[in-house]
Amino acid sequence: MSRFVTWLALMGFLAATCASAYIPLGPWNTVINTAISCAKALLIALFFMELRQAGTLLRIAAVAGLLWLALLFGISWSDFATRTISPAPWSVAR
Amino acid sequence: MPTTQFDSTLERRESALLGMWAFLATELMFFGPLFFGYVHARIAQPEAFASGSHHMHIVLGTLNTAILLTSSFTMALAVHAAQESRPLRAWLVVTALLGAAFVGIKAYEWVSEFSEAANASGGEARFYFLYYAMTGLHAVHLTIGIAIVGWLAARARRFNAAYHAPVEVTGLYWHFVDVVWVFLYPMFYLLERYR
Repeated sequence: MSRFVTWLALMGFLAATCASAYIPLGPWNTVINTAISCAKALLIALFFMELRQAGTLLRIAAVAGLLWLALLFGISWSDFATRTISPAPWSVAR
Repeated sequence: MPTTQFDSTLERRESALLGMWAFLATELMFFGPLFFGYVHARIAQPEAFASGSHHMHIVLGTLNTAILLTSSFTMALAVHAAQESRPLRAWLVVTALLGAAFVGIKAYEWVSEFSEAANASGGEARFYFLYYAMTGLHAVHLTIGIAIVGWLAARARRFNAAYHAPVEVTGLYWHFVDVVWVFLYPMFYLLERYR
């Protein structure tokens, strides 16, 4: 039963994300799309992947990957955001 | 009856699931850099990404998302059936067929977009590069998933409440691939659709 309700909710979110893309909201379109994607992923993880019933160990394992990816994103982004590109002398266009 | 290295069947089950979650974490590392590249490229050239997105088949993309979400639902039903010792072959077959339908539609999209992608330049070329790389990597994963689910369907009679670890573990993989698509769909199909 909970699986069917989850499927219905996923279909509802899909309709919402598709419909919202046709409303001009500027950068908020991306925010809404990302938020809806996260909500769908959470529904799938909790009900289809059964994390709701899972023990602490599995929950930590599930979150650890995301945490690690967030760290790598943060470190990579700090590099791109704080450095200027200084090409080698031989690669500067003449 | 648990094998000797486990204290209980519960511990054995949790070990199998933990192993799969650890594998999925490495899969996240596999897909992650492409997502980072996408964010970086799109912030650099937002207009090119928006115009590239307008070349996508919105109807086929949305239909495919619905197909894949439904396949996750039938996969969850297969796992649930196994947990309760009910027949699960039909659910596995439906899951594999929905997966195959997804890959078929995706293949049609790739072919129909190919000439435009080959002639694109600048930011749009980067958009198409990321599109083919990310949906391609996703489709490879889904194809592997279809093969495993088909194999499980052939052996469906062996699974019951006491033994169904292969079904559960495959289910986790299938849902993971579904989650990846949940993020890919708005990233490629839904940019500035209102224009």
